[in-house]
This record gives sequence, C-alpha cells and structure tokens, in this order.
Amino acid sequence: MAKLPTPQELVASRPDFPEQDWLDVKPQFTPGSYCYPAKKETMELLHMPNPHDWDPAAEDWNLPEDWEKILCDAFAERLEKHRSLKLFMDICVRCGACADKCHFFLGTNDPKNMPVLRAELLRSLYRRDYTMLGKILGKKVGARGWDKDVVKELFYYAYQCTECRRCSLFCPYGIDTAEITAIVRELLHEVGLGIHWIMDPVKNCSFTGNHLGIQPHSFVEIVEMLADDCETITGIRPKTPFNEKGHEILFITPSGDVFADPGIYTFMGYLMLFHELDLDYTFSTYASEGGNFGSFTTFNMAKKLNAKMYAEAERLGAKWILGGECGHMWRVINQYMATYNGPAPSCMMDVPTSPITGTKFTNAAATKMVHITEFTADLIKHNKLNLDPSRNDHIITTFHDSCNPARGMGLLEEPRYVLKAVCNNFVEMPENTIREQTFCCGAGSGLNTEEIMELRMRSGMPRGNALRYVQEKYGVNHMACVCAIDRATLPPLANYWAPGVTVSGLHELVANALVMKGECKRTMDLRQEDLPNVEPDETETQVEGQ
Amino acid sequence: MNALFQDQRDEIVNAWVEAVFNTYALETTGFLRTQNDPFANPVAHMTREAAGIVYDAVAGEDVDPAQVKKAIDRFVKLRAVQDGTPGQNLGVFLLLKPILRKMVLPRCSGSDALTSYYLEAESRLDSVMLLAFDMYTADRDIIAESRITEIRNQHAQLVRWAQKVGGSPLNPAGKE
Ligand code: SF4
Ligand code: SF4
Repeated sequence: MAKLPTPQELVASRPDFPEQDWLDVKPQFTPGSYCYPAKKETMELLHMPNPHDWDPAAEDWNLPEDWEKILCDAFAERLEKHRSLKLFMDICVRCGACADKCHFFLGTNDPKNMPVLRAELLRSLYRRDYTMLGKILGKKVGARGWDKDVVKELFYYAYQCTECRRCSLFCPYGIDTAEITAIVRELLHEVGLGIHWIMDPVKNCSFTGNHLGIQPHSFVEIVEMLADDCETITGIRPKTPFNEKGHEILFITPSGDVFADPGIYTFMGYLMLFHELDLDYTFSTYASEGGNFGSFTTFNMAKKLNAKMYAEAERLGAKWILGGECGHMWRVINQYMATYNGPAPSCMMDVPTSPITGTKFTNAAATKMVHITEFTADLIKHNKLNLDPSRNDHIITTFHDSCNPARGMGLLEEPRYVLKAVCNNFVEMPENTIREQTFCCGAGSGLNTEEIMELRMRSGMPRGNALRYVQEKYGVNHMACVCAIDRATLPPLANYWAPGVTVSGLHELVANALVMKGECKRTMDLRQEDLPNVEPDETETQVEGQ
Repeated sequence: MNALFQDQRDEIVNAWVEAVFNTYALETTGFLRTQNDPFANPVAHMTREAAGIVYDAVAGEDVDPAQVKKAIDRFVKLRAVQDGTPGQNLGVFLLLKPILRKMVLPRCSGSDALTSYYLEAESRLDSVMLLAFDMYTADRDIIAESRITEIRNQHAQLVRWAQKVGGSPLNPAGKE
C-alpha cells in the first residue's frame, strides 16, 4: 500500500551531495518565470532574422533548421567585432566576487543567477571552440557544445538579468556581465527568439515614435489633456509645443510618462517647469520615446532608435537635447551613443548651455544631451526657482538610484540635491543598497512585463527589503526615482514588500513645490489630492459660514 | 516546563534555519550561512528573523499572533514568490517538527506532564503554519492584483483620452 509522503519528503530538502552538477540542472519553464514570446508578425515587420511562432513552455521551439550553424557563426562574428566580449570570455578567474551581488541571485538562490555562472553559460560554449584545453579536455574543464537545451537555458537566464551592472562594480577585472547578457540576447535573436514586451515597443517606436504606437495627433491630444490637468491645479495652462522648428532645445523623455500612472505626474512637472522658465523648446512626436528599447535586443536596433533622436534634433534645428527622467536612454547616451552614431550633428551647439543660468554643460559636449536633473539642479543652485518645499511636508521620502543613471552615467548627487531642495524630509536607504551599489528595481532591460510579476517580486526583493527597512525605522512613505521603468515597476514592488510607500518621479515633487508666477492658490498636489497645511480661503469659509 | 525548550533554543533554531537553507541549491547554501549583512544577504536575514520568533511561539513563550505574523511576514512573502509549489514553500515550517522530535521529545519520556506540554508545542507549530497559510494566500492575491493594476495603469491616459474623443464604447458621444 502506498503511503503519503512526509512533509520533509514533500518539501524535498535536497540531498547533501546532489547527483547533478550545477551546469546540468535544467531550468523549468513554469508560468511566471518566463516572458511571452514576440509575435512572428512583429519580427517580420522589423526584418528580424528567422521570425517564427514558438512557445517557451513547449518542448520544441521551432528553431530554424540550421540553428547551430547560425549561432556558432553569430558568436564568432560578435567575438571578432567586440574585443571586450573576447576579453570577458578569457579573463574571468572565477574569484566569485560578483557571485552574491546580483539581485536575481539574492531573490532566487539559483546558482545560475550568480553573475559568474550566468556568464559561464556562454563561456562554456566559448571554451569548447576557442580554447585549446576546452578542445582537448571538453567537459572536464567546463566546456560544452551547443544543443537545444542550451539554447533554452540561455534564453531563461538572459531574461533573468536586467543588465543592471551591479555585479561589474565588484569585479576586479571590470567584467561587465550586462554586456554578456546583451550579446546572448542578440545571439538568440539570430534564431528568431525574442520577447513580446520588448519587440512590440521596438516596433511601435520604429513606426510611430512612442512605445504604444499611438498616432502622433492622438499623442499630442493626450499631452494637451495633461496640460489641462496642470491648469486645474495651478490655474495656468502650460504650453505644449510639438514638432516646431527653430527652438533652442528638443526635449525627449520616455513616452511611458505620457500614458502611464504615475509617470504622467512627472511629465506634468516638466510642462509646468518649462512654462515657468518660458523655455525655448519643443517636443517631437517622431522622437517621442527616449527609452531605447532597441538596447534590450541588438546593437543595430539600439543604434537605429538612438539615431532617431539626433535626426530629429537636426531636422528641427535644435541646438541641444534636454532629456527627461529615463534609465536606458541615459545608459545608451553615455556609453554607446558615440560608437553608434557619433559625432552628433555639427549644426548642434558645441557645448549645451543653459539659457537661464548660462551654465555650460561640458560633460554633455560630445552627446549634446543634458539630463533634466542636472538642468534643474543648476537652476536651483542659481536660485532661479521659487520653491515651497513645505507643500511636500506630508511625505518622508527616500531616493532610489536607478541603475542606469547611477552606474551608467554617475548621476548620484544631482537628484539628491534637487530632492532636498523640494522636500523637507529625506532619508537614505542603507549604504550598500544605494548610489553605485544600488539594487535594481528587478524589472529593467525590458522585463517590466506583468506575466513575470512573481519573478519581479523576487528579483526586486533586495530593493524592496531596503525600502521596508527605512519605512519601519524612519516612517518613510515615499520613494522618488529618475526612471520611467522604475515608475512602472516600483509601485507593485513597494506594494508587495513595503505597502504604504508611494512612488514618484523627481519632477513631480519639483512641480509640487514650484511656486509659479500668477498661479492660483494651490490646494491640490499634482495627483489632485489635498495638499497638507492649506488654510481654507477666508472667502470660502465665509460662504460656508453663511 | 519551559526549560525543556529553552535549554537547546539556539541549536534548534539553527537546525531549522539550516533545514530551510537546504531547500536551496548546494552551491548557494555556503553563502546563505556565512554572509550576515541584512541587505547583502536578505534571504538569510528573513529566515533567521522568522526562526527565532516561531520557535519562541511554539515553545509557549508569551508571543501573540500579531508578533508572529510580523516576524514571519517577510519570510512568507519571500516563499510566496520563490520557485516551488505552495506545499513546498510553506512546508518549511513543518521541518521544525522532526528536529523537535529528535532533540526535545526524548527528554519527555516517562513524564506525562512533559509529554503533553510537548504535544501542545507541536500544535502551536500547526497554528503558526495556519497563520502563514493565510498570509501566503493574501500575498499571492497581491501579485494577481498587481498584474491587473499594472495593465490598467500602463494605458490609463489612453483610456481617458479615448473616452474624451468618443473612442470608447462606454461613452460614444465623447462627453467627459
Ligand atoms: S547585470 Fe545585474 S542582473 Fe545581470 S548578472 Fe549583473 S547584477 Fe545580475
Ligand atoms: S568578479 Fe569578475 S573575475 Fe571574479 S568571478 Fe566575477 S566576473 Fe569572474
């Protein structure tokens, strides 16, 4: 007679010495652990190689006939093209310094999510074909050949890395696992494997300019709706210049902030700030997405989407580009733009200069693109804004350093400077979770899709955990950030790990505190919720009294 | 009576923590054991936080359900999103039982009073398990809701705009 297993047997504590080596344990494609695949039509429209229908949970992924040759050739080509890749394959000494630094590893405890072993998935293939020892000794020295399970494994782990670069901070050789992941994703695209949440926005950005593929006239109307909201709150309707030639500045920000809550409040913050400054600027519908979704797919796609911004600046005759609160846009601008498309069009200004303060942003001389936080920090330093931080007195805020601005461009002080100027209560999260060491939101690099919410909650756990700590210890009830993906991914993360903490962009708080010339008495914040400490109007009280 | 459980508190708590760590892959347990920073090794910190209070509650110390819930909250949240079936993820609480039976039960032999005290302790572990079960399902509900909220939020302004211009079946006239 069969007996029920004991709880220990059910929980299946593993044996002391598992039979399988870590490299041989295959990932399980359970719902919630993988992203939905890109649609065949989308891939065809974008002229991606080998578009086909497939399902990550299925046994057969319908790979093209000669998939192994395609992958081997593609890998060889990348090794030839990117010297850094070859270096990363060769020089890792397996010291393990990076092993426990990845939020995916910390949340899943899956050894293959250790950066060193994540890279090893590709390195083992490299070893077989490109090292003498690997050729001779094979498996004994950790070399292996391509097979279909290896392809599946590469897919599984390349989309469990947010390319955040936290690991590379700790590597004595500076090995950038994020770039290895980027290459793996690129290789997978060669055999037609991509994910929907990335490829659909790539298609939309390519064809219509914004990530949802909203037609230009509708896009403008939505922005006007947001300007109407600004008027409701302040009595002033900010202007919304679109596609106008001859302005000094082209402003580009992620389109998510036009469509999604709570990003729209940050967008409204920009509108109000620029109106107050009477800034000589324009938006563009063609270049209305700053976030470079292409950078989650392939080098060429990233290059193409990046080029659009500069083509549009040139067409409109803008002297420089002001960029909004975005993550990947800034990584691409600071690390790759010059290689992709540099130098910037010669008609642009040598050194972008603030028309309000005269400050020359020499750091942006090559890219012609200034971060809005640098711009605003400079305004505050020169006393150009009338700010009333007490309007944000109902919040005790902390600041989440978004991976790309923090590690990809070193934007650490400016957001804090601005935040402290517009909020009276600011608390830092623990030292080993902020600034360069910041923990990812868990869903960057195109992983902010709802079907993997469960995975996002575990990869975002180290961030959520640090947030919860300051919530319990200091009563923090707000987290500011400078990235549109964060504004989408941190609210559910906070709701899970530290319920009660709201999330906003920096410029939402700036606009709350901004006292505009000729504004009506502010009683609401940008979310149209009551401001604290607002005395009721005398006239109103009288009317009520009567 | 409490001496029965108190004498070996640290050993038993550690043994349970080890049993939990052993549910993860071999390559990662060394790290879980050795790194003590609560932010650099949150899983171990959460597990240890839960272990201490769970043990005290089971041992019959003065611990009310709210305290237990608070102490196991992060741990249950973690288990609710990690790989594995609900049974496997919550079953870790029951891994305490064989440890108790090995280390505490033998000391009760011959005494009815001690034995019945021991059995009550095991029942209290069942209660902890039930509390955790409620929390686990609530956490899973949050995840399901988050998925819906996220879809709604992503297109929030689009829907508002569609209603305004008459593109919505609910509001064909385009009135706000
Ligand atoms: S880049 Fe980030 S997500 Fe990827 S392996 Fe490194 S730490 Fe992990
Ligand atoms: S820290 Fe660098 S050298 Fe050390 S294991 Fe990680 S990638 Fe390899």
